[in-house]
Amino acid sequence: MEIEIQLTDRPIAEKILPPGQPGAVGAWLEFRGVVRGEENGQAIRAIEYEAYSEMAGREIRRLLQEISARHPCRAAKVIHRVGVIPVGETAIYVGVASPHRGEAFALLAEFMDRLKQDVPIWKRRALPAEDESKKNHAPLAPSLSPLGGERVAARPGEGKFASKNSLVSLNEALVEIRTHCQPLPAVRTPLAEALGRVLRETICAPEDLPPVDRSTRDGYAIRADDASKTFSVVDTIQAADWKPRQLKPGEAVRVATGAALPCDGLRVVMQEHAERDGDKLQIVRPENSMNVRLRGEEVRQGRPLVSAGTKLNAGALAMLATVGNVNPLVSPRLRILHFTTGDEIVTPDQTPKPGQVRDSNSILIRSLLQNFPCDVEQSHLPENFELAKSEIRNRKSQIENAAVLLVSGGASVGETDFTRALLEQLGFEIVFNQIDLRPGRPLIFGVNGSRVVFGLPGNPLSHFVCFHFAVATALAGLSGGEPPEFLRGQLAEKLDDKPCPRETLWPARWEWNDATPRLRPLAWASSGDITCLAAANALVRVPANQGSIEKLTGMDFLPVTAMIGGGI
Amino acid sequence: MRVLFFAQLKDATGCNAVELAAVSPLNTPQLWTELLQRFPALAAHRPNVRLARNWEYAAPDAIFADNDEVALIPPVSGG
Repeated sequence: MEIEIQLTDRPIAEKILPPGQPGAVGAWLEFRGVVRGEENGQAIRAIEYEAYSEMAGREIRRLLQEISARHPCRAAKVIHRVGVIPVGETAIYVGVASPHRGEAFALLAEFMDRLKQDVPIWKRRALPAEDESKKNHAPLAPSLSPLGGERVAARPGEGKFASKNSLVSLNEALVEIRTHCQPLPAVRTPLAEALGRVLRETICAPEDLPPVDRSTRDGYAIRADDASKTFSVVDTIQAADWKPRQLKPGEAVRVATGAALPCDGLRVVMQEHAERDGDKLQIVRPENSMNVRLRGEEVRQGRPLVSAGTKLNAGALAMLATVGNVNPLVSPRLRILHFTTGDEIVTPDQTPKPGQVRDSNSILIRSLLQNFPCDVEQSHLPENFELAKSEIRNRKSQIENAAVLLVSGGASVGETDFTRALLEQLGFEIVFNQIDLRPGRPLIFGVNGSRVVFGLPGNPLSHFVCFHFAVATALAGLSGGEPPEFLRGQLAEKLDDKPCPRETLWPARWEWNDATPRLRPLAWASSGDITCLAAANALVRVPANQGSIEKLTGMDFLPVTAMIGGGI
Repeated sequence: MRVLFFAQLKDATGCNAVELAAVSPLNTPQLWTELLQRFPALAAHRPNVRLARNWEYAAPDAIFADNDEVALIPPVSGG
């Protein structure tokens, strides 16, 4: 049975996709446990849950495996939320897929009973309902904001879509994107193709590592409790040999560095500290060190090695290879379709006529996407709406197959209207079409089922900014990984600015100074300014109405992956 | 060995975890003796607490070694 388990401190999605291929199962049964409005007769507004995460995940898996032996099912997905969960929201989600409904009902019912007995998760405390007068002061949502900054009290994504103009704050935009970008069904993938994918199951050590005691020296293995002075050499063990045997006092085994020792309870005498004559061995220098790497010294059997949600890097893949996990369950490779629009654009190899500009966004987007496992297709749409419509009709299946659609628009209001009309034509519902942010204000975000679209304002700097906070957050969500996170740094120089009524993501260059990231703000004049992009490796978050900020002030910043491989 | 406390046991002990220096491996009664010496308030919880060793419930005859992760699991209430 395929099992997916998540413990999360974020809201559980309203809609969760069943696993597997359509046609393979006949029943998809879902259960949600939601937080009730009263606890022990008291009105409450939320419950705080606590979990022993490492054990809870294992226990859930163990229960599912045990119960599915009696009620065979194809797949199960369990998501338990922890932290503060407001009344009415889902605390646990369980989905079960099986060929017929009977097994699914039986498994689900028994699983929930057992979960409540055995899985180490606790209702820690109930938060009493508040007076109306106090309601505004205590936003409930816990750690809803991995991108830092204030918490967001509003509940996002409740079926309300932008009517005409929907302006959101940066935090609201991030919550909307995270809410709408839920993990796509996981796939099993060979290790060679898994770099950069998000692991969707926790991999535990199948055995102790190393699985046996190993020698760390060339020398002679003897019993650790053996006080003999002379020994007879009874065997020779090379690095690749496996020759189990018990040693008697007075017996020694010749071992090479890395060799598996023949039994427990041995130590190794370095060859330099012994003299050998035929089968006879004499220890000439006493030795305090064991010279043994003990079984399980590196990792104990059952210990989680790589947790679900980890973006697989080279080291993690080497670890999976070590334990023989050659087909891990990971996020799928994302299909991304990128359209440029605007008749003023010429390809970079052409010389622009007056009024024309070279297309820099295609290579910018293509390069930024190198940090994500995805297949990118790029093409251009004509500015004439009828021509554009016929072009997208021609590419209907391509568009429908893309998990993410990116449309690079122009910067003017007219052009964003064009992008918006195009997206609605394609069946996308617009979640927001403006963000209270500089640069990047005319950012559009829309959804159609599990597919998402971004209309990116045309200026390269806006593209750069919107990609790193918005598109990167969406790609992380669809992959089941961690969204990009703001860090804390210190201004290396004064940030020179007039007060702006919008929040700003200010291009900057960061580097380490002792243990503190130091941020050097880069000069930029407008969202069309491209000169700072080559140097930028950070976006500093400047609050609205701030004006200039003194040197050494602490600031939130988003490190950005300007180089290939930087995000992996 | 590292011993973790959860839920109301955090309140009883005032901490999330403690490092016990065990000279030799401990069986269950020995482990409890060590713990109660350090945290007498755990006594009231003992009848309802299950022990876990390395992320699994421990059998009554389990032996707890120095590099084990031990957890005290009070009655659970998830879901």
